[in-house]
Amino acid sequence: MKQYVYRFIRLIIIITISLLALFPFYVLAILAFTPSSVNFSEKLILLPNLYFDNFIEAWKISNIGQAIANSLIITVGAVTINVVLSSMAGYAVARVKNKTNKIMFLIMLGCMMIPGIINTVPLYTLMIAIGGINTHWAMILVLATNSLPFSIFLYSGFIGGIPKTIEEAAIIDGCSRIGAFFRVVFPLLKPVTSAVVIINGLSIWNNYAQAVFFLQKQSMKTIPLAISMFFQQYGAKWHLMAAASMIGLAPAVFTFIIFQKYFIKGITAGSVKG
Amino acid sequence: MELKNKIISKLHNFMILPAFLLFSIFFIYPLLKGIGLSLTDYDGMTKANFVGFDNFIEFFKDHRAMNDVKTTILFALGSAPLLNIFGFLYALLLDRKFVGKSIIRTIIYLPAVISPLIMGYIWYFILQPKRGFIYSLIESVSGNALDFNWLGNSSMAIWVIVIVNVWQFVGMTMVIYLAGLQAIPEELHEAGMIDGASYLQRIRYITLPMMIQPIKINVITNIIGSLAVFEIIIALTDGGPGYSTESLSIYIMRKCYGSFTGYSTAVAIVLFFIVLIPVYISFKYLNKKNVEM
Repeated sequence: MKQYVYRFIRLIIIITISLLALFPFYVLAILAFTPSSVNFSEKLILLPNLYFDNFIEAWKISNIGQAIANSLIITVGAVTINVVLSSMAGYAVARVKNKTNKIMFLIMLGCMMIPGIINTVPLYTLMIAIGGINTHWAMILVLATNSLPFSIFLYSGFIGGIPKTIEEAAIIDGCSRIGAFFRVVFPLLKPVTSAVVIINGLSIWNNYAQAVFFLQKQSMKTIPLAISMFFQQYGAKWHLMAAASMIGLAPAVFTFIIFQKYFIKGITAGSVKG
Repeated sequence: MELKNKIISKLHNFMILPAFLLFSIFFIYPLLKGIGLSLTDYDGMTKANFVGFDNFIEFFKDHRAMNDVKTTILFALGSAPLLNIFGFLYALLLDRKFVGKSIIRTIIYLPAVISPLIMGYIWYFILQPKRGFIYSLIESVSGNALDFNWLGNSSMAIWVIVIVNVWQFVGMTMVIYLAGLQAIPEELHEAGMIDGASYLQRIRYITLPMMIQPIKINVITNIIGSLAVFEIIIALTDGGPGYSTESLSIYIMRKCYGSFTGYSTAVAIVLFFIVLIPVYISFKYLNKKNVEM
C-alpha cells in the first residue's frame, strides 16, 4: 500500500514539473494563434485557435526566413570545423602523450573559464583588420573556436576509453596513424560526436553575445538578433512577436526532438566515463 | 613518394596543431591584446595612451560597477546552487524505469534548447504588469486586478530572473546527473539494500560518492555560466529598474559600446577573477573529496 502511495506522489510530481516546463510554450502558442484584435485582459483564451495570419505577417515583416538561412549556414559551418579539429586534437591528447600536447590542452581548458566578453573588443578590431565583420566565414571561425576546449575535453575522454588494439591492427596492415584515425577511430566516435554536435550546435545557434557585435548588417542577422530587433520594433504587438518567436525556435526544437535519443548516450560517453 | 610516406607517418604528432592554431588566432591573441588594452584609455577611435592600473583603481570607485558586482554575485549565489539541487532531484526522480520516461526527459530539457534571449522575452510577456498573461488570468478568474509589478521592484526582480534561469537550465544540469546515475553499477544499490540501508542512506553513502565527476562538471559550468549572465537579464528587465539588476557582463558591453573600451576590458578582467576564485575553490574541494572516497 505504502509503495502505491509513493508511486502516486511521484507521478504527480513528474506531471507537475513537465507541465511547468511546457507552460511558456503553451502561452506562446495561444498568443501566436489568436487574432491581434483580442485583448487578454478582457477575454481569456485557453485553447489555441486555427488562426495563421500572425505567422504570415510576422514572416513578411521580420525577415526571419533570411535569419534562419544565416543561422543555418553559420551553425553547420562552425559545427563541422569544430568536430574535425577537436576530434583530431582529442586523439592527440588521448594517444600521443607528450609535453606539447599536454600543455596546449591545459591552456585551452583553462581558457574555458574566461568570459567571452573580455575578448570581444580586441576580437572586434581583429575582425575589422581581416575584413570579417558581417561575413559568414569569420563568424563561423569565431564560434567554432569558442567551443573547441569543451569538445576536445569530451573527445579525449571518450578516445581514452577505446582499446588501442583496434587502430594497431590497421597500422600493421600498412595504414599510417593519421589514416587509421580517420578510417578506423573516427567512425567509432559517433556517440560523443552526437553530443558535441547537439551541445555546440545549440550554443552556436543561440549565440547572441558575439553576433550582436560582428553581424550588424540587416541581411546578416541570425535568429536571436532578428527576434530581439523585432521585439524592439514591434514589442507592443505581442501576437506578432509570439508568431515570430515560434518560427524562430521551431528549427532548434525539431532538431533536438529528432536527435535526443543520441544525446544522453553521448553525454554519458563523453563526460562521465572519461 | 618515399618522402611523402615519411611525412604522412609523422603527421599524427601534429594532430592538435590545427585546433590550437585556430584557438590562438581567435582566442589567445585577442585575450592578450585585451589584457594590454585594459592598461590604456582606449576609446575605440583615437590612439590609446598607457595609464597603468588607473582603470582598475577607477573600477573600485565606480558605484554602478560595485552595484553590478553585487547583482552578479547575488544572481550566481541563487542560481548555481538551485540549478544543482533541482537538477539532482530531477535526475533521481527520472532515473527509474517508467512508461514515457524518454518523452518526459525531452520535455524537461526542451527549455534549454531555446535561446535565453527569446525565452526571456516569452517570460516577460507572461510576467509583465497590466497586460501580462498571469495578470489577465488572475483578473478574469477573480475579477480583481492584481496591482503588483514583479519586474519593476528591484529587490524582487533579481529573484524572478534567478527563477526563470533555473527553470530554463535545470534540464541541462539534470542530463549530466542522469548520465552519472546510469554509470553506477546496480550491484552497489543491491548490496546496500541487503545491508538494510534506507533510501536516503543509500543516496548519501552510495550515490553521492559515485557522482563526484558529474557534480564537478555541473558545479563548475554553472558557476561560470551564472557569473557571466547576460541575455536573460537583457530580455526580462534590461538591467532595470535603474541599474538595479544590471550584471557585470551587461555593464562591460555598454561601456564598450559607449567608447570606454579600455575601461571595459579592465572590468572584464575583474570579472575573470570573480569567476576564477569560486571555480578554483570548488575544483580543489571536489578533487579532495574524490581522493577521500
